[in-house]
Amino acid sequence: MKPLKLLAMFVIPMGLIIAAVPQNKTNPYKLTAEEVLNEANTRNQFVTADVVADMIVNKDPSLRLIDVRSQDEFEKFSLTGAINIPSANLLSKEYSDILNQDTKMNVFYSNGTLAANEAWMITRQLGYTNNYVLEGGLNYWFDAILNPQKPASVNSDEEFAKYDFRKSAGLALGGGGLAVQPASDQGSASAKPAVKPAAKKKKASGGC
Amino acid sequence: MSTSKEIKQTKYLNPYLGGVLLGLVLLSANFIAGRGLGASGAIKSVVATTIKTVDKNAVKTMPFMAEYAQSHVGNPMKSWLVFEMLGVLVGGFISGALAGRLKLKVEHSPKITSRRRLIFALAGGVLFGFGSQLGRGCTSGAALSGMAVLSLGGFITMMAIFGTAFALAYFFRKNWI
Amino acid sequence: MGPLAPNELISENSNFLFAFLIGIAFGFVLESSGFSSSRKLAGMFYGYDTVVLKVFFTGAITCMLGLLFMSLFGWIDLDLIYVNPTYLTSAIVGGVVMGAGFIMGGFCPGTSFCGAAIGKIDGMVFVAGLFLGVYVFAFTYSWWEKLYMANYLGEPKISASLGLSDGLFGLILILVALAMFRVAEWAEKKFPREAY
Repeated sequence: MKPLKLLAMFVIPMGLIIAAVPQNKTNPYKLTAEEVLNEANTRNQFVTADVVADMIVNKDPSLRLIDVRSQDEFEKFSLTGAINIPSANLLSKEYSDILNQDTKMNVFYSNGTLAANEAWMITRQLGYTNNYVLEGGLNYWFDAILNPQKPASVNSDEEFAKYDFRKSAGLALGGGGLAVQPASDQGSASAKPAVKPAAKKKKASGGC
Repeated sequence: MSTSKEIKQTKYLNPYLGGVLLGLVLLSANFIAGRGLGASGAIKSVVATTIKTVDKNAVKTMPFMAEYAQSHVGNPMKSWLVFEMLGVLVGGFISGALAGRLKLKVEHSPKITSRRRLIFALAGGVLFGFGSQLGRGCTSGAALSGMAVLSLGGFITMMAIFGTAFALAYFFRKNWI
Repeated sequence: MGPLAPNELISENSNFLFAFLIGIAFGFVLESSGFSSSRKLAGMFYGYDTVVLKVFFTGAITCMLGLLFMSLFGWIDLDLIYVNPTYLTSAIVGGVVMGAGFIMGGFCPGTSFCGAAIGKIDGMVFVAGLFLGVYVFAFTYSWWEKLYMANYLGEPKISASLGLSDGLFGLILILVALAMFRVAEWAEKKFPREAY
């Protein structure tokens, strides 16, 4: 049989099939459910309110706060410099560059920790790194940072230091007038997690 | 090699079979390395390496080198295309050897001289080398690989290459037919 | 799940080894199909030898179908495959210059290496020309830089810019290519073909 006819016999049906079948657009999971569960149980994805407040006060450029609540709630109140990615839109293509990167530290927050932790789990399973969760969410933020409780006199110096820091940070963040003491020399809470240069799935460069 | 009484034909693969095989090679490149084939990029790598060797500060003084350094970290010779083109030399040699086509000669139409052919080969090479830099690829990289991944840029470059060649064919016909 | 290298399923050195092996296969297929002969390549533009058209389009279609089917089966993540960027101005200007080089030199970079590999001196000279051309570009870069960077459109796919799905475009391409092959075969019968 003429080669051209043979070729056509193969290639046309394949073309028809590929034209008819919808494209496979699934986003492959890079981590197994078990791996994500293990990571979630270490609770390393949490950053404390103190650390975040410190970063805001010091205008740390590596911080990026992401409010995962609805747009309404975001507009009513949001943390300084936060952007809004409602949970429902988390997987939209326009945010993938924000969520899948290795230059900034993304910190998800919501009113509590449920929605923010969900966002972390989903992005983690897609293999993204450098995403964290604000421990305690906004509820804790209001209590601890904006209205810190003065510790009883028997508490440790550390507790007092934390209180002083929170008071001045709270005032700075709430728009108050007191001078702000940077908390970096106080061993405050946990160390700020470093931004990991990601094992980012980079597209191969080519052409040339 | 088959010979007949009237014409001596060189035995090449059936073009459709060759095309399918080529497609499979390209497919494996995409599957393994996430990129298509190419050729001009290897030349660019060698050029960049020689410039770098001769003038270590070239990255600062030559904008070409700066642009190259931006997209290629590390040793320019350690590039996918350089290894691939070395393979092409080997593969072409093996195929030629197996088919008995190894012969040192200048291939040209009997109507022109070797010298004329070589002059045009050089000129063509210079133009093609220059054009491949502008076009960010050649027929292998931009046209073939680009088409396979449905790249618009690749497709446009391909149309420009073949369109121009067809348009100019009349003026160079003496060299070929 | 492919592609292997971007997903870090193989090391960088393995990737380079594969590059070499793939290159061997590439060179072998090109040479076997006759692409080491400048007269065969130029024949495309005079109708007496349409091997370029047939091999080229069959190759592109085979790979395209392969990629689409592999994506369908979940064997490859197409988002990680390199898609050539589109810089409109330089894509056209570069193509025109290359077209001129093609009809004059009778080779393109890949095929000239094949030709050189089997001893074609015109292939070797063409390769030398390639290097010269790139050097010229490198040293005059500042003259062309603006043109080179103009009209960056990202990495659009042809199917997207026509508003078609990849698969539908693929089918159209296949039909167009098959039609071209028929015309090519007619042309070869019509235009005389001497021995070379």
